Amino acid sequence: MKQNLIAEQRVMDEVKKAIAEGIDIDPGRIKPESSLMKDLGAESLDFLDINYRLEQTFGIKMARRTVIDHMEELFGEESAIDAEGKLTAKAAEVLAMRYDGHGDKINSGMDIDELPVMVTVSSIVEGVTNLLDTLPEKCSNCGAGDWKVEEESRVVCGSCAEPAEFTSGDDLIEDWLNKIQEEKKIF
Amino acid sequence: MGVAEDSFFTDKVAIITGGSRGIGRATALAFAKAGADVVVNHSKPEGGSKKKAEEVCRAIEDLGRASLAVAADIALKASVGEMMEAVSRWRGRLDFLVLNAARAPFKPIEKLLEREMRQLVETNYMGNIFCIQKALPLLEASGGKIVFISSLGSRFYNPSYPLGSMKAAMEALVRDCSETLGERGVSVNAVCGGIVRTDSFKTLRQYMEDLENIPEELCVSPEALADVVVFLCSPGARGIRGQTVVVDNGLANRLYRPAWAKKNRG
Ligand SMILES: NC(=O)c1ccc[n+]([C@@H]2O[C@H](COP(=O)([O-])OP(=O)(O)OC[C@H]3O[C@@H](n4cnc5c(N)ncnc54)[C@H](OP(=O)(O)O)[C@@H]3O)[C@@H](O)[C@H]2O)c1
Ligand SMILES: [Zn+2]
Repeated sequence: MKQNLIAEQRVMDEVKKAIAEGIDIDPGRIKPESSLMKDLGAESLDFLDINYRLEQTFGIKMARRTVIDHMEELFGEESAIDAEGKLTAKAAEVLAMRYDGHGDKINSGMDIDELPVMVTVSSIVEGVTNLLDTLPEKCSNCGAGDWKVEEESRVVCGSCAEPAEFTSGDDLIEDWLNKIQEEKKIF
Repeated sequence: MGVAEDSFFTDKVAIITGGSRGIGRATALAFAKAGADVVVNHSKPEGGSKKKAEEVCRAIEDLGRASLAVAADIALKASVGEMMEAVSRWRGRLDFLVLNAARAPFKPIEKLLEREMRQLVETNYMGNIFCIQKALPLLEASGGKIVFISSLGSRFYNPSYPLGSMKAAMEALVRDCSETLGERGVSVNAVCGGIVRTDSFKTLRQYMEDLENIPEELCVSPEALADVVVFLCSPGARGIRGQTVVVDNGLANRLYRPAWAKKNRG
């Protein structure tokens, strides 16, 4: 369900903080549209660090594998990346649906190394928000349905104080891909 | 290093594969401190990989030793060949080969794609053999030493860690090479590390729930591993052949205790 316990601005602030600390830069440089790799100088290892910080802050589990990885797992090797390391037409179609804003920059045949460059501050905010929106109706521990927020970012059960269990980033991607596949039969 | 003569390492040459970060970096610096000149191998000719390797080279030079950074993907036989030629041109000798570089996907075995499996074997198994083959003439000439870097994953299950089976193969390779190369005057051993908080730990903790809870005293520092690598190359280790030495701050001995601890608590 769409949760309204943690405001989007709060998520944005925490994402900026995680990036600033993860790659050790001045928070003032970080804009919603900044590309982490191109504009802020992040390397692939930095993404792990940033994700880790966000997981600790919000009690969520960010995806360990990319949408591309999941496509190949679900729909077979070379369904998303061809033998030359280029994006397949089917994968480009799926990615364009997922990243509306960037749809025009994603093309079949592009080098998959170009994809991480498209990760922006807002796309991370969106990822975190999607995970927070998987907040279940009821606490899985005691069945109560009154969530409260601790330290402005941790959702816990108002009755038994257990932390909320959000869907993991990997499960969310997998569910989404299965849904797309069912609707559009792309692969 | 009381066991080594003070001048033993002076003007000798060590190469560390994956010497730009983590345990490789600490090993490169430990050799420089011992007096050796060091070749720092890293994987990519540009970007962060190159920058990190150059930083290590500067630190070696600050210790008063010579250094050379060489970009080469060890999974590619031709690149390894070019790297060893560069080493040969540089100082005309090679005394110590430390096989430290590793890179692997983190997933359960049943989810590995064919491409990932090939990369796993090419980098972590074949790559080390390419290095040995191409370095052998130089090592034979110097009566050199080879030290592999293994991990506890060679003998214990870790979730989503296919690298473990490559480390098991590595430890078998150590025995094998020790026998065949020993006859040619080259000694071969390995160091098997426990949990080290390097860059790769950042990946590891994503897959191994609760890894963060391992108390600090059961983690081992890159420097502690590096010191044993240097020791295995020193005259003090001359009687050690084909062995894998565990350097883990005692972690392995603690691993089986939770099994009964939980049961007793009920
Ligand atoms: N961390 C631990 O807990 C732990 C424990 C026991 C054993 N070990 C072992 O210790 C070794 C080093 O681990 P680490 O944690 O220090 O790793 P790390 O921080 O991830 O560094 C890996 C190093 O290997 C290089 N490398 C990777 N693939 C390469 C390739 N194909 N060709 C050339 N160089 C390559 C990297 O170079 P770039 O900079 O170019 O990427 C980097 O210098 C590994 O064999 C690992 O399995 C680690
Ligand atoms: Zn509850």
